[in-house]
Order: sequence, then C-alpha cells, then structure tokens
Amino acid sequence: MTSATAYVESPVDVAAAKVETKARRGRGVEHKPRIAIIITVAFFAILYLPILVVVLFSFNDKKSLATFTGFSTRWYSDLFSNEDLLASVAASLKISFVAMVGSLILGTMLAISLERVRSRGGRLAGLIALIPLVTPEIVTGVAALLLFTGLGIKLSLTTVMIAEITFSIAYVTVIIRSRLATLSAEVEEAAMDLGCNRVQALRLVVFPAILPALIAAGILIFALVFDDFVLAFFTTGVEPQPLPVRIYSAIRFGISPSINAIGTLMLAFSITLIGLALVIPRFFGRKDNSIDMLTGG
Amino acid sequence: MVKSGGASQRTRLWAVLLMPPTLWMLVFFVSSIALVIALSFGVTGDDGLPRFGHTLVNYQAILNTTYLNTMLRSLTYAVITVVICLVIGYPVAYAIALHGGRYKNALIAAIVMPFFASYLVRMYAWTTLLSDEGVVNHVLQQTGLSSGIQFLNTPYAVIIGLVYGFIVFMILPIYASLERMDTSLIEAGKDLYHGPMRTFLHVTVPATKAGMLGGVLLVFLPSMGDFVSAQLLGGPNTYMVGNLVQQQFFDGQNWPLGSALTVVLMVALLAFMVFYLRASSTRMREA
Repeated sequence: MTSATAYVESPVDVAAAKVETKARRGRGVEHKPRIAIIITVAFFAILYLPILVVVLFSFNDKKSLATFTGFSTRWYSDLFSNEDLLASVAASLKISFVAMVGSLILGTMLAISLERVRSRGGRLAGLIALIPLVTPEIVTGVAALLLFTGLGIKLSLTTVMIAEITFSIAYVTVIIRSRLATLSAEVEEAAMDLGCNRVQALRLVVFPAILPALIAAGILIFALVFDDFVLAFFTTGVEPQPLPVRIYSAIRFGISPSINAIGTLMLAFSITLIGLALVIPRFFGRKDNSIDMLTGG
Repeated sequence: MVKSGGASQRTRLWAVLLMPPTLWMLVFFVSSIALVIALSFGVTGDDGLPRFGHTLVNYQAILNTTYLNTMLRSLTYAVITVVICLVIGYPVAYAIALHGGRYKNALIAAIVMPFFASYLVRMYAWTTLLSDEGVVNHVLQQTGLSSGIQFLNTPYAVIIGLVYGFIVFMILPIYASLERMDTSLIEAGKDLYHGPMRTFLHVTVPATKAGMLGGVLLVFLPSMGDFVSAQLLGGPNTYMVGNLVQQQFFDGQNWPLGSALTVVLMVALLAFMVFYLRASSTRMREA
C-alpha cells in the first residue's frame, strides 16, 4: 500500500485509499472467522478444565471435590507409602520399556523391508501390520486374552508386554516409513558403491537418518503403553497390576483425592514424554517439525 | 555376475527383515482374531469352561431386544459423537491452520498433549467434574442457576466422555489437510463466489474432504468399541457393545457369547469401513 499512498495528494484521496485498504483486508485470507475463533477458545477452555480440576484437587487438604479448602500434599504422601501402588508403577514402567524396545525393533524391520520390497507378499504384510490401528482396542484385547488362554500361557506382565508390542508395531512402522520415504534409495546405492555391504549401508546410512524418528517413536510408544488401559485390562494377571488397571479399580471403588494425585503425576509424566518426543528431533537439526509426524503431514 | 549377486543378496536381506515382524503379527494378531471367530461358534461347558463347537446359539442369543437395543445405542452414541467432533473440530482446525500464525505448532501440541495423557484419568476427571457433589453442580448451586442436575448415568455424560476422548482424531487430519491446502484457492474463491461463507462451502470444504473423511473414521471406530466412558460416566442404561463384551469376559464368564459379540462388532465396523471407503473414494473422484 505504500506505493499507492505515494501517489495520493488530497485528504479525500487518502481517506479513499484507507477505505480501500480496509476493504481489501476484509476480503483477504487474513479476514478473521470470528465463530471459528470463539469455538477454538471455548474448546481449549473445556479441554483443560477437567485436567486443571484434577491437578487442583490433588492438593486439596479436605476430601471435597467441589470446594478447595486449603493446600496440602497429604494425598501425595499417601501414594508414596502405598506399596501396591508403587509395585504397579514399577510394573507399568517395565511393560512400557519392553513394549518400546520390542516394537521399535520389529516395526523398524517391517518399515525398512516394506519401503524396499515391492512384492505382493510385502504389501500384504504391511496391510496386516496396519490392521491394529483401525481395530477397536477391545477387539484386540479380547483376541489376545483368548490366544494366551488357548495356548495355556498364564496371564502376567509378559502377556501384557506381548499384547502391547503387537499393538505398537503399527505406530512405529507408520512413523519410520514416513521418514524412510524421504530418504532416497540411491543414498544407500552410493554407500555400496563406496564399498559398504548391505548391512553396513543400513547401519551407517539408513540408521543415522531415521534415528530422530526412532527416538520420537520410542518415546511416543512408551507414553501410549504406559497409559494404555484396555489391552492391559484384558491381558494382565492378578499381581502386580499395571498402573492403569489399578487406577480403574480404584475409580470403580469410588472417587477419592488420591486418584487425583496419581492422575496428576501420570499427566505430568506423559506430558513430559510427549513434549520430549516433539522437541528431540529438533536437536538433530531437522527443519521439519515433529508435529508433522503426528498429523501425517 | 556381480550385479545379479547383489540383487539376490538384497532380496535375501529384505526377506530376513520382513520375516520376524510378519511372523509376530501372524502368531499374535491374525491367529488371535481367528480364535475369536472360532470360539464364537463354541459353547460354555458344564464345568464353566469355553469349548469350541459349530453352533449358532451365541448369535441367536444376541438377537434379543436387550442386545439389539445396546447395539443400536452404541451406533447412536458413536454417530452423535462423530457429528459433535466434526462441528467442534473443524472450526478449531481451521482457526489454527489459517489463523494460528507462528503459534500453530504450539497450539497443536497443546491439543495433542492431554490426549496422549491417560484416557482413564481424563474420563475420571469428568466423573469428578460432573458428579452430584462435583464442581459443575457446586457452581450451579452457588450461582442459584439450578438446585443441581444429575449428569452422571445419563447419555449426555457418556457422549461428553467420547467426544473428549476422541476429538483429537478429528482435528489432526482436518488440520493436516488445511495445512496442505493452497490458501490462494480461498483468495480466488472470494472473487468467484462472493462472501466468505460461500467460499468456505465451495472451496475450503471440498479441499479438506479427505481430512474430514479420515477424521470421521478415526472417531467412529474407537467410539463404537469404547466401554470406559459408559462404565465410568454412565450406568447400565447407557451401556454400549463394549460393556456387553467386557461383562461376558469378566462378570458373566460366557466367553463364547462374548466372542460372538466381538465378531458382530468387528463385522459391523469392517462393513462400515468398506462401504465408507468405497463411497468416499468415488465421491472424491467425482469432486
């Protein structure tokens, strides 16, 4: 607009130019859709309201869930003296770690071979691996329960780990494949021309390229599995119960401020992990941000 | 000679990589689903243990009004959930993608974070908010707006839970398709169609159809299979198919019937997906 104002002389023209500017702004992309923005603000308020309530009342000194009477950490000290609960936390950490390592290994193998093998068998394998993504968890849970019982495997933390690995492979495969797709196969060919064998090319060229995606996927799986209730519910043995299963029993038993305290700790933990998953790829100097990874962009 | 040796070595390496994950999925996923289907034709023996068989009694048992009503209810809740998610999720994705400026990524991260945090804890958060002695009722009473409303054990509470639980799966694909959209299309649309509303309907909506279709699917599927929301926020009058399945495996101990219910759920969702994907792909081609 600066060039336009340079030509106008009389105040009338200036005014006219201003009106025109306003009109243009109204017609352009920068026109703000008021309704969409109001809905968005309301959405964020409602999104965080329950979370704020959980966090706030975990510090309440009375049992009330409606009035905040004073600050106290008594519910937290209750938690840390609860042996069963601590055993559940340890169990969930173990499950998440094993599921993370297992699904990273299997999912990456699958992603690399699917990216490079263009056979019908390969496509079928890729399709099968993706089915868990569109299967309701209750179906996967029931199926895993039947399988373990049918094979005579006693339900335990191991069965939860196996079920969680099966469920997580698809996530890893999707994330790693999208990274591999940006990596041309010619880079590997070049490495081999320079004297690498296939395995060395994978280790020295492909692996470093997908490392940020591997780390992000690993953290994501860890967080997802740590919080996963449905699969754990169907495949766990009696003791020690995974943390979400224990929380579920506690909730069915009745609302209590100590559940707020566990909830707050779990929220803090997951949010830290997801934050890390979003931030870490940046340390590798990637311009593309990891939000794209989540939105499939 | 060297080249063909390289090619076969390559094929062998990929086969070695492909084998373990494929075997894993066959053993722990495909066979487990096959087992559910097989057991749905079985019976519970006199000793209370499930046995394989080839009877249709479980499917006949499902054909009673209680079960059919529950399935209809699940479908109704899931459809309402999808509609609400679309109505709220689209404007949110739109506002962030086109007007988020440099806060775009931060805003999306702010949406994603709570969703990756425990589903169970989030459902629990709503039970404390909506309970008779919870914050919402407390505020209503303090302000004299109402002497108290019962939210829990109503369909409203269950649907709130489902929307809250799955809306992120609507927002992300729509956001992604808006991000990919060429914004000069909107500019051009404004010249063509006059007025932001008509431009929105004729330009933006068709350009983001893929995102919406994906979002609808991603919200519908888990909503149909959910049992936590109905369990914690609802009651026996709001039970969904997932609750029936869960009951048969944990309370009722009739695994063959539970398997048959699971198969019905699977087949219904599969049929929905096939029709839906076919219909949407033809519509996409026409568009």
